[in-house]
Amino acid sequence: MRRNYWKIGEPWVWATGAALSVTLLIAVTLIAVIMVNGLGVFWPGKLQQLELKDGSKLLGELIQSEPVHRGEGLRRQYKIANRDLYGLDFRWIDETEILRADHPAAAIVLEREENGDFFGFLDAVQASGLELPAGAAPYAQLHAALDQVSVMKAAGHATDQQLSTASYRLEQLRRDQLKAEYQGVDPRSSSYQELLHEQERLKVDFEHLMKQQRKEQTNLRQYQATFSDANGRTSNIVLADIVQAYRPNQLAWHQQVIFYAAKLKELIVGEPRESNTEGGLFPAIFGTIMLIFTMSLFSFPLGVIAAIYLREYAREGVVVRVVRIAVNNLAGIPSIVYGIFGLGFFVYGIGSNIDKLFFPELLPTPTFGTGGILWASLTLALLTVPVVIVATEEALGAIPREFREGSLALGATRFQTLLRILLPMASPGIMTGLILAMARAAGEVAPLMITGVVKLAPALPIDGNFPFFHLDRKFMHLGFHIFDIGFQSPNVEAAKPMVFVTTLLLVLIVLAMSSLAIRLRNRMKKRYTFSTF
Amino acid sequence: MSKKFSRRARRNDTLAKVVISCGGILVIFSVIFILALIAGTALPLFQSPRADIVASFPLPQQPQQEVLELGVDDYLESGFFIDRGGVFNFFEIRHGKATDQYPAPQPAPDSKLHAIDRYGRMQFGLLWQDGTLTLEKVIFQSFFDEANENQRSIVHRVTRETTFPPGDFGLPLRSLGRLGEDGRRTRIDLLENGQLVVTQFAVSENFLGEVEAERFSETLDTAEQQITALTVNRQGTELYAGTATGTLLRWSLEEPGEAVLRDELTAFDDQRPITALGLVFGDYSLAVGDAQGEVSTWFPVRIAKNSARKVLRRIHDLTPHANAITDIQPSLRDKSLLTLGRNGMLNLDHMTSERHLLSFGERAPLTHYTINTRGDGVVGLTANNTTWVWKLDNPHPEVSWKTLFGKVWYEGYDAPEYAWQSSSASDDFEPKLSLTPLIFGTLKGTFYAMIFAIPLALCGAIYTSQFCRPRLRQTIKPAIEIMAAIPTVIIGFLAALWLAPLIESSLGAVFLSFLFVPAGLMIAIIIWQQLRRHKPLKQIENGFEFLAIVPVLLLTFAVAATLGPLAEKLLFAGDLRQWLFQEMGTRYDPRNCLVIAFGMGFAVIPIIFTIAEDSLSNVPPALKAASLACGASRWQTVWRVILPSASPGIFAGTMIGFGRAVGETMIVLMATGNTAIMELSIFNGMRPLSSNIAVEIPEAPFGGTLYRTLFLSAVILFLMTFVVNTVAEVIRQRLRKKYGRF
Repeated sequence: MRRNYWKIGEPWVWATGAALSVTLLIAVTLIAVIMVNGLGVFWPGKLQQLELKDGSKLLGELIQSEPVHRGEGLRRQYKIANRDLYGLDFRWIDETEILRADHPAAAIVLEREENGDFFGFLDAVQASGLELPAGAAPYAQLHAALDQVSVMKAAGHATDQQLSTASYRLEQLRRDQLKAEYQGVDPRSSSYQELLHEQERLKVDFEHLMKQQRKEQTNLRQYQATFSDANGRTSNIVLADIVQAYRPNQLAWHQQVIFYAAKLKELIVGEPRESNTEGGLFPAIFGTIMLIFTMSLFSFPLGVIAAIYLREYAREGVVVRVVRIAVNNLAGIPSIVYGIFGLGFFVYGIGSNIDKLFFPELLPTPTFGTGGILWASLTLALLTVPVVIVATEEALGAIPREFREGSLALGATRFQTLLRILLPMASPGIMTGLILAMARAAGEVAPLMITGVVKLAPALPIDGNFPFFHLDRKFMHLGFHIFDIGFQSPNVEAAKPMVFVTTLLLVLIVLAMSSLAIRLRNRMKKRYTFSTF
Repeated sequence: MSKKFSRRARRNDTLAKVVISCGGILVIFSVIFILALIAGTALPLFQSPRADIVASFPLPQQPQQEVLELGVDDYLESGFFIDRGGVFNFFEIRHGKATDQYPAPQPAPDSKLHAIDRYGRMQFGLLWQDGTLTLEKVIFQSFFDEANENQRSIVHRVTRETTFPPGDFGLPLRSLGRLGEDGRRTRIDLLENGQLVVTQFAVSENFLGEVEAERFSETLDTAEQQITALTVNRQGTELYAGTATGTLLRWSLEEPGEAVLRDELTAFDDQRPITALGLVFGDYSLAVGDAQGEVSTWFPVRIAKNSARKVLRRIHDLTPHANAITDIQPSLRDKSLLTLGRNGMLNLDHMTSERHLLSFGERAPLTHYTINTRGDGVVGLTANNTTWVWKLDNPHPEVSWKTLFGKVWYEGYDAPEYAWQSSSASDDFEPKLSLTPLIFGTLKGTFYAMIFAIPLALCGAIYTSQFCRPRLRQTIKPAIEIMAAIPTVIIGFLAALWLAPLIESSLGAVFLSFLFVPAGLMIAIIIWQQLRRHKPLKQIENGFEFLAIVPVLLLTFAVAATLGPLAEKLLFAGDLRQWLFQEMGTRYDPRNCLVIAFGMGFAVIPIIFTIAEDSLSNVPPALKAASLACGASRWQTVWRVILPSASPGIFAGTMIGFGRAVGETMIVLMATGNTAIMELSIFNGMRPLSSNIAVEIPEAPFGGTLYRTLFLSAVILFLMTFVVNTVAEVIRQRLRKKYGRF
């Protein structure tokens, strides 16, 4: 019996099973690491105050602890924030150095526009001119003051908006002027003079707005509050710089949940701060979605038409075989090769010719002759066309012959058959292809890096200024965001939470899309596949 | 049905057919077009250079004027020649007419030039007959005339940089003068009696802040050899001399007044005379021309691996002339050299690529010649006083098959090497564009990733398709397909920022788990033989094995993780990395191939898995049924029947996975150090073609050598994947035909 067991190869079955388990375990680990690190980022952690053996104090959030390298005991990593005071956000402490640890209720966390967080204690609010509840605790005063400051800030945003519109229009006028000069319009002609006049007028407006903005800002900066760190070092912080202030050690669990939800909202709709390591991801999410949709606009029709041609129109033979090989090859070409193709063909080839034809007055500053969302979308469209072709072909191929023959026998033309019978039946399959293509586009980074993605785009590709869609603009992208803040930010340790959050978001988007696609496909398979053994 | 309707239907049908066919064919052409465009961009790298004659005219000169040197501006619009009287005669090239003259101020009335030395960017050392040496510089500037519709014209001026007074040794044969960046002036004189005299004026600031000039003079020991060629670098700190008996001498003039003889060596065994010396752009390599017409370049190389002493060595051999070399001039743009033979033939060669670029002077032997500072224009003067002006089309002289794929001895290296270093801060830098280390990096990364991925993916596919419960299979397969959708940027990020530090801190545990997992598996199977006798447990063998094995795997990983540090302490003195470095001589990079193997392996597993699983489960069930009915066990059936029939599909899946790994960019970009080294060790990183493109193309100027080289590497990537994919696809199509469905 025992020899037999080995002889018939049962252990091999187990070995292959183990291989499958290892693969699945790796996948689970990967997702778990992303989840654990990504989900916990926004949970307000408790602040610990430590008294160290050397007499100094430390206020920070415990990040992790690990065994001391070559030694006994553990060491702990704390986020101590206060980059402007200490220079570093993180500190390793050996457990042996710690005398006492507690969680002071008054400890406050400030999220700031600059220099990262501040951990410390509130001393006093200096805000003459603001209506503060007299006699209230400093913390209540701080919140009252912050509320009023944020109202003022909102007013300031309106000015900012006006300023950016004005500067955009000035830029447009400068372009018009360049164009007129390029076309050789007589400088004395009325249209040119009008242009100059308009420019002067706008410049006056602009200056006026600038002055107003400066005034508002100086006004805002006079409201300050005094804080002190664990060792009693005080520092004055301008209220306008404070994004949010809270006392983590006093938050009840439901407040924590609300806090978490607010942070999530900020992540989705907020603008990035601190060279992308804080704040929201809105421009990156927007850029990713717009990229995907622009790409689909090109790859979807092309892919579907090519697949229909292959399956319904082309005659089976050597040609079609070669074409299939070509299509599958297209799917196998490394994405970076598409990227370099996009750069050579779209950006330097088509783009610079568009510039020569339509924007010669702006040269040598490129308009379309540099990376932009249009070129990135086209490059990705090429990259994803094979995915759409393969899926559509599969879907069309799964439809039994009888449907075609029936339709044709009833006198329908081929096109009518296609339009009324085949495409509706194949639509789930085609959708599958499209969604898979979109998922691929959402995760692809390498070709974007050379065709127009940037770490911080000054403006979204869509805005309220005519012509609303600015396809020549550079854009931000979630995938590139990960690469950029994870690898090119000066303070990788401080950027890590943001990278994990971005990763989590991207993984969720991509996984949701592909599971939807696969579900659709499986459902279709079931509908048309007739029983097999 | 109305006639109108059916006509419209037919028309629509025809129209659709045309549109759809066009669209389909368009997609096919796009594949060809992509390759054509990329290859087309790379192709000019191998274009042979061309020289077009812009003008030829008799030199506008007086009959008694003797031409000593020539010069030309960057736009090939105006040129000049220097005559015996020390006059710079400017002329314009299009019409060949003289424009103006600039007589260099003479040290004494009516003195003439004795010799002239050309160096640097249109700088000339004029040796007057009274022994005075003056350094003159010609400057051409483009000038945009606003009054005249911004027309460009070239204006020129001649400035005197410095004057050396005559020495006390009479009139030398030749004199070289240099003005260093620190203000130090150096004059080297070759006397009639063969002696070399070095005079240096060092400028120093004394403690009061006053500038003092000190004069040092010494006679160099030349061991009574007859010096036939002489050159000095632009700073005046390295002096080279060649003798009639084939000896090369090199002095360092770094310390004023204390010249040190660094080298004295017999350059040629047959003791042929050295007839011309020149320094290649960058002043590191020395070009030597000899009486037999051979041109070679030399630079100092360490005599032993860790020795500080460097000796001149012959590095590159350029195209030889038919007879003795009379003059050598470097290009001021790259490492090209112009060499003039005694027969008046002028050769343009590139040092690094050893490529012979162009020859001039077939029509009539040249006596004088020069190349402009941009390196794209050559002017030559023939014996019958005809001036020829050539415009060069020579965009990529540094590229040859050898520099792209072979070992090249670069400046400053101790041996020929494969190297990739595309740019640096200085413009006299020698670009190192060997694609070999990049291809090596690509294959190395792919190799390790495949070692990791293939067994896992194939075994997993076998299990899923053959042994797993069908219901579970319907979950596992989509799950793994979804894994394929995880963006590589995420895998790369986790590999670099999470996995790499983890592996680095627990290297021992990683290696232990390679040992423990198979061992644990064996033990589990042996135990299982006892357990399977129990009826309820036997259920596991109906396709739940992979779940039952999970605790065993987790346990072995846990054991390995606990024992890892212990084993490191016991066996490797507490630090495996250090032990590797000291005992094995392998450096441990934190971002290495081990990380890549996990990361990239994980990225290709789903691809191989999906295709292999498809082909395995598409083996006609009749085969399986027949084999089982004949009494074969389930493993025997798989091994002997299913696997052979599905093997083409499995092979195709592996190939496609390979193609994917070859082109993978983000994972390697993030999780390797991106250093172009050629070491097989799993503990080192690499720089593959794909991430090299991603890193360098944003910095590459459009149309430049680097830009085109990167396109060439894209072609290589394309072809690598193209071949692999085509093979895989052909196999898959055959398989499809064989089993009639897929």
